[in-house]
Amino acid sequence: MKKSKYIELVLITAALASCHHSGNKEWESGNHTYIRSDSTAPYGAAIGYGNGGARMWYYAFRPYGNYNNGYYERAGYYSDAIHERANIGSNSFKSSVVRGGFGGGFSVSS
Amino acid sequence: MERITTKPRNNWQTAVEKLGFGFHTTNIPYWDESAYYSFIMPEVLKLEKATAELWDLCLGAVQHVMDNNLYHQFGIPDYIIPLIEKSWTEDHPAIYGRFDFSYKNGDIKLLEFNADTPTSLYESGIVQWFWLQDFDKSKDQFNSIHEKLIAYWRYLKQYLYDDTLYFTCLKETLEDLTNTEYMRDCAIQGGLETELIFIDDIGWDDNSEVFVDMKEKDIKNIFKLYPWEWMLKEDFGKNIVADKNKSLWVEPAWKMILSNKAILPILWQLYPQCPYILPAYFEADRLTDYVKKPILSREGANIEIVQNNMSIEKTQGEYGKEGFIYQQLCSLPEFNGNYAVIGSWVIGQQPAGMGIRDSTSLITNNTSRFIPHLID
Repeated sequence: MKKSKYIELVLITAALASCHHSGNKEWESGNHTYIRSDSTAPYGAAIGYGNGGARMWYYAFRPYGNYNNGYYERAGYYSDAIHERANIGSNSFKSSVVRGGFGGGFSVSS
Repeated sequence: MERITTKPRNNWQTAVEKLGFGFHTTNIPYWDESAYYSFIMPEVLKLEKATAELWDLCLGAVQHVMDNNLYHQFGIPDYIIPLIEKSWTEDHPAIYGRFDFSYKNGDIKLLEFNADTPTSLYESGIVQWFWLQDFDKSKDQFNSIHEKLIAYWRYLKQYLYDDTLYFTCLKETLEDLTNTEYMRDCAIQGGLETELIFIDDIGWDDNSEVFVDMKEKDIKNIFKLYPWEWMLKEDFGKNIVADKNKSLWVEPAWKMILSNKAILPILWQLYPQCPYILPAYFEADRLTDYVKKPILSREGANIEIVQNNMSIEKTQGEYGKEGFIYQQLCSLPEFNGNYAVIGSWVIGQQPAGMGIRDSTSLITNNTSRFIPHLID
């Protein structure tokens, strides 16, 4: 039933296995991180990752991006708590691009 | 089909984590290799045949819904209907779906079809295959998911815009991210240029009326692990039809029809002789033993099992305002208190493999466990 006996994963093991490395000590210090998603927003304590502990913190704040002509370009963060730019709404100081119009759901597990 | 208890690998957590499978355990186990299901080849061939036939019937049902303008039964808003029909007539790229079956006493019955955002793809395609390599390499598995995904992405490339294919899902859900990144992995191996963007990072450019990525580059092709019905209700929903790029969304808009449980009464109405399809209706008074299902729901939420017109099991949730369907009660096969549902994958129009989930209740929900299988 299985045509190939050889399975190669080019992306996922490296990308996702790193989400579970608990040895990244730089993320383990401190119990609270204070952030804001927009320059107009007040700072607030970012907590609420349940029992995930340090590895979930690492996952949440790990930047993601893509390689382009050999150069890594950061596109954003795995968490929506911090952002390259304000992620919701627009005003005259920002571009004409609005973000945050999708994503109100919780998880799609079926 | 037998359920056989066995000893998990000593280092199974490490073994599956090395594969990038991080959601094997939450507050309860999800990946469970303390047992496996054993099938004989005729059983697997029967499942494969049912999957292929049901896929064909489902395509016929989609055409029937369009021809008879039955969208109101699906709670589909009017403004998206032209896109649904365009995506169907132009055959926009679609790659996968998962039928959920009861397989009891040799009878296969369709419980529902996860046609838009099926999950457990990674467990089915990769994790259980590597389990088998450790458990017994001499055995086979109903599983060509990985190969078919790569091959079909390669095939679909010609039908996408000559541009990056984006992959999107919610943030902060490792299960969704794993499924999405696995799909992206297969697309990369199929020769496509890809990028990941989380669903709430997708931008809408008010000036040019296009969706954009984080660098404000146009998004023209996008695979989403995010349901159509959620997108349509959100702020950007109407932008999908205003999009000047006419971006290709995978799965395409017509999958809204098949992923909706309103398709179950339609299938019964069209194909009452089909041995795989259970009687199902939009009205409650046609059956005495039935399962009441919201036309839009996930993870077994808001399901009620009724026997002799008495409610025997019910789950809570937030679904149901779009309406319900009533499907004849079909008891799941039970193995020492475990009820098994078979998820049979169709990838690129073909049966591709299966994954099995066990529950201790009759309703399979988000506390079910994934059990590997083999062919003996």
